[in-house]
Amino acid sequence: MFRNLKFLLAVITLLLSSTGFGLVSPAQTMPRLTYRDRTLANGLRVLTVEDHASPTVAIQVWYKVGSKDDPEGRSGFAHLFEHMLFKGTKNMKDEMMDRLTEDVGGINNASTWDDFTNYYEVVPSNYLETLLWAEAERMGSLNVDEKNFKSERDVVKEEFRSRVLAPPYGRFFYAIEKESFTAHPYRRPGIGSIEELDAATLGDVKAFHSTFYRPDNATLVVVGDFEPKQIDAWIDKYFTRVAKPDKPLPRVTTKEPERTAEKRVNEYAATVPLPAVALTYLAPPVASADAAALDVAEAILSSGESSRLYQSLVYQQQVAQEAFAQADLREQLGLFVLGAILASEKKPAEAERALLGELKKMQDTLVSAAELDKAKLQLVTNELRERETSNGKAFALARAAVLLGDAARINTDIEKLQAVTAADIQRVMKKYFTDSNRVVITYQAESMRPKTTAGGEGGK
Amino acid sequence: MRKISSSSKMIRIATAVLLATGLLAGTAVAQQENPPAPAAPRSVTIPKPTDRTLKNGLRVIVIEDHDIPLISAGIVVKNGGEVDPANLSGLAELTASLLTKGTKTRTAPEIAQQIEALGGTIQSGAGWDASRVFINVMSGKIDPAMSILADVVRNPVFQEEEIERLRQQYIDNLSVTLGDPGSLASYVAARVVFGDAAYGHPLAGTPESLPLIKQADIVGLHTKYYRPDNAVLVIGGSIKAEDAFKLAERLLGDWAKPAAALPARGQVGKMARADEKQRVVVIDMPDAGQAAVVLARVGISRTDPDYFRGIVTNSILSGYSGRLNQEIRIKRGLSYGARSSLEARRESGPFAASAQTKNPSGAEVAGLLIHELSRLSSEPVAEVELTPRKAVLIGGFGRNLETTDGLAFQVSSLALHGLSLDEINNYIRNVQAVTAADVQKFAGSRLPAKDAHIIIVGNAKDFLEPLRKQFSNVEVIPLAELDLNSAALRKTGATAGK
Repeated sequence: MFRNLKFLLAVITLLLSSTGFGLVSPAQTMPRLTYRDRTLANGLRVLTVEDHASPTVAIQVWYKVGSKDDPEGRSGFAHLFEHMLFKGTKNMKDEMMDRLTEDVGGINNASTWDDFTNYYEVVPSNYLETLLWAEAERMGSLNVDEKNFKSERDVVKEEFRSRVLAPPYGRFFYAIEKESFTAHPYRRPGIGSIEELDAATLGDVKAFHSTFYRPDNATLVVVGDFEPKQIDAWIDKYFTRVAKPDKPLPRVTTKEPERTAEKRVNEYAATVPLPAVALTYLAPPVASADAAALDVAEAILSSGESSRLYQSLVYQQQVAQEAFAQADLREQLGLFVLGAILASEKKPAEAERALLGELKKMQDTLVSAAELDKAKLQLVTNELRERETSNGKAFALARAAVLLGDAARINTDIEKLQAVTAADIQRVMKKYFTDSNRVVITYQAESMRPKTTAGGEGGK
Repeated sequence: MRKISSSSKMIRIATAVLLATGLLAGTAVAQQENPPAPAAPRSVTIPKPTDRTLKNGLRVIVIEDHDIPLISAGIVVKNGGEVDPANLSGLAELTASLLTKGTKTRTAPEIAQQIEALGGTIQSGAGWDASRVFINVMSGKIDPAMSILADVVRNPVFQEEEIERLRQQYIDNLSVTLGDPGSLASYVAARVVFGDAAYGHPLAGTPESLPLIKQADIVGLHTKYYRPDNAVLVIGGSIKAEDAFKLAERLLGDWAKPAAALPARGQVGKMARADEKQRVVVIDMPDAGQAAVVLARVGISRTDPDYFRGIVTNSILSGYSGRLNQEIRIKRGLSYGARSSLEARRESGPFAASAQTKNPSGAEVAGLLIHELSRLSSEPVAEVELTPRKAVLIGGFGRNLETTDGLAFQVSSLALHGLSLDEINNYIRNVQAVTAADVQKFAGSRLPAKDAHIIIVGNAKDFLEPLRKQFSNVEVIPLAELDLNSAALRKTGATAGK
């Protein structure tokens, strides 16, 4: 899932790699990633990076199906399905993927995003063939029954409670998802809802697998310790036997209408320690030419304690205890979110004013060369940190190929980043951060809800 | 995502030393096609740390790793939250946090500005037994970044204005964490396990203790404990050892060692006692979206001879396919995840097993936690279960070493506890040496379930009745009456009820 905001990233470190940029550092600080790229006859895209730094290997399979493809009335289904892909296949018992990874010192996991779902393993490299077999197995067949479906659905409902109901700001982030889109399926939070999870059936699971889990909708990325000839032979052996269906792949075609006037939403919940506020703006798709400038703008606004939001809202005005900005750019359109958890005694309107003030400054005045350089260097260093590991490299390469639609961008996006000018930033700030393109969401304790006036009482 | 991953880091050590071939064939018997067997394992290399001690007593440890042009460097002071005075919970944490909020020559915004202009980060905070300041930066920027690191440790000014700002942030932040059932349950568990001993208080303070902390307390703590002969500098990543030592000498060689002797260490923890009375504490939070259930008791210290037996025992319970998650999540769908931890500190730290579940399942989950802990000592673990759980530990250890941050942290932890740095090279062997009999014995003698405490934070009316059927001594404390400042956990004046 999880297009979560920075606020949540501290606890879900996996997602650090997810926020909207795909930048590579300059040649003198990070070597180019050399990869091989081929496509099997059944449509499976295969990207491999040979790297013998350690005797391990990272395997990722990305399917181009995500929460936006949840069937109607089945919000949360793509994510529930992701859990089911760890159950059995024709030749694998339930949870056998854990036996092949965890039990030999490796790891596995998966995550469902708006536009794609990725499954990955990191294992000692002598298990590479075993895992290629296993990934081909679950691409080709799924063997689930009513009992393990219901039990896993209960797990996902607990996941919903753990992410949305239990944390003090779970409902706030949930509301940001729900309230920021009107027509596009991005409006449905990927974690779903208890009711729609309950509505899902075993039949839905089988249908989803045959519709979306097919070689021509998948990208396999392997990074690590292997011999090229050997891996090609294994991939041919295990993956070519997965047939490509004749049916066309369904794709989301719903267009989100432009926003025409500011929308305001007030959310209330029983336990809200400090009020919160978020501003969301519709933004361009992730592959857009404006993406790099928006990523730099995000860094200027919110990366580190020298960032504008921290310095202004948290340090100087002390109106917020935490402030964030995120260019959450997705395949079909993006969302730029700014927000704050307030300091005690402060009102949402004060934080809203402060956030708007920071946006206006970015629109009115060019950022300085030093600030621009700082933001770029932060982005490059973050990317370096992501690429410390084979799994991080695999994620970045898969992201370029699947989400950006061009694997070469793993190495070329650095030029796009370096080319961003202060004028570019000012231009995108003016273009997207308009009054009519804004949704304002406030989040407060139930006790703050205005009393409804009844029977002519109240009023001035 | 399927699991909350505590780390998305990669493996470095081939755990194939464990050769689980038999296991693969075993699980595949009834299937039409068996998975391909693994090839021969590849050999492993682990970087070797080197260390020197400067004239002022500062120990400097360097660990080279040139895969990626990044460096992680940090100063670890060998005292943390355990030295907080009883009424000043949060003092060490506030002190560590304030280091980056102003020095003799740099204001707080200047420190942030300067490190971030290098693309780097600086983080400081106090843990148990240690306070840490770490930078992470591209290797080409290490010189200016290290100057900032040295400056914040040596020359903080602890201005009143910065103290007030941070104090308020901590109080606000506490109101958030105390609203989360999981965080609150771990705060309560620490009090229940350690009572009024130092390890029992919240590291980041309480709403009552934070306002009492004065500038003089902060300056006093810094003067007393932040000294070269009570600290370790660790530099890990893409840097030559000789260059790192030179840099250390230049920036910290003249950090003066005070004439006064190092303060003696008092006892801060609590030993496990045979007569320990089990407590079952419910914090009633009627609006809780889930119940957070914790089983907790005293565990072991980092230098305990049983350390490796302890972590292997814990790994039988913890991890995705550990027994807790098998029973609570995979078999019963009661939680998104159940886990346990054996946190080894300078003195005996806590052992805790926990899971969050829907409120009505709170009592059932508590019962399962106890049952699984008891089973560890009542029956031996089979080799086919023990071998993969050791592999989990070894693989996780390897993945930690793959990032510069992980590398520096591991090495600094060994130094903190006065352990040989060779331990990172002996880790695999030490884990492998643990037997099924060791696990059963450790569980029975060091982690008996009968005196483990149970803490549940959640909507009490949903689970109280079945909980009282399992335990005769349930204490229920309404959230409004909770006091984290003492072992009683109840505000004075609040009525003690059943």
